[in-house]
Amino acid sequence: MGAEIITVSRDTKFVHLAWQRDEKQLANVKYPMGSDVTGKLAKMFGVYDEATGLSLRGTFIISPEGKLLNAEVNFFNMGRNVDELMRKFKANLHLAKQTAEGCPAKWKEEGDLTLKPSAKMVGRVHEALKEMGG
Amino acid sequence: MPEACACLGCNVGSTVPDFTLETFEPAKGDFGEISLATLRKNKKWTILFFYPADFTFV
Repeated sequence: MGAEIITVSRDTKFVHLAWQRDEKQLANVKYPMGSDVTGKLAKMFGVYDEATGLSLRGTFIISPEGKLLNAEVNFFNMGRNVDELMRKFKANLHLAKQTAEGCPAKWKEEGDLTLKPSAKMVGRVHEALKEMGG
Repeated sequence: MPEACACLGCNVGSTVPDFTLETFEPAKGDFGEISLATLRKNKKWTILFFYPADFTFV
């Protein structure tokens, strides 16, 4: 899909190997599994949980220029929605090309309604969305 | 010491400092290393997906 996905936990690369080899759920996993043994990266992203020493379920999208564009953090007991991650990633790709536009909440994929903020739209977002069939 | 809160981490909209991670790469069946500097040089989008620990659900 054009992005490098890196999964990160505080396990060593050896444990990553053992888990990926043994867990059938991970049989088709292709992305690199990063080892953050010291928790330094988790701390950098604010997902290091002091109480347990583990990292929270954080997802971060970084542009090719190294800019952090999206951050989502869930507590341990809640999984993430991959569809929403894909939506954000696709929106980033669109906005990287169409820098004057904005992707509203309902934007799902290329071709969906976007907005171009303008003086005309101030206080009239509802009408603008309606006009464009959104 | 108070617990760190998410707001102490990298801010959305800011440039992420460079980092390097040792990896296991299932696609190659081998160990490797990945750095943000290399990803940036190769004009790659990067998605970091943190989770608590291996042998748990992701």
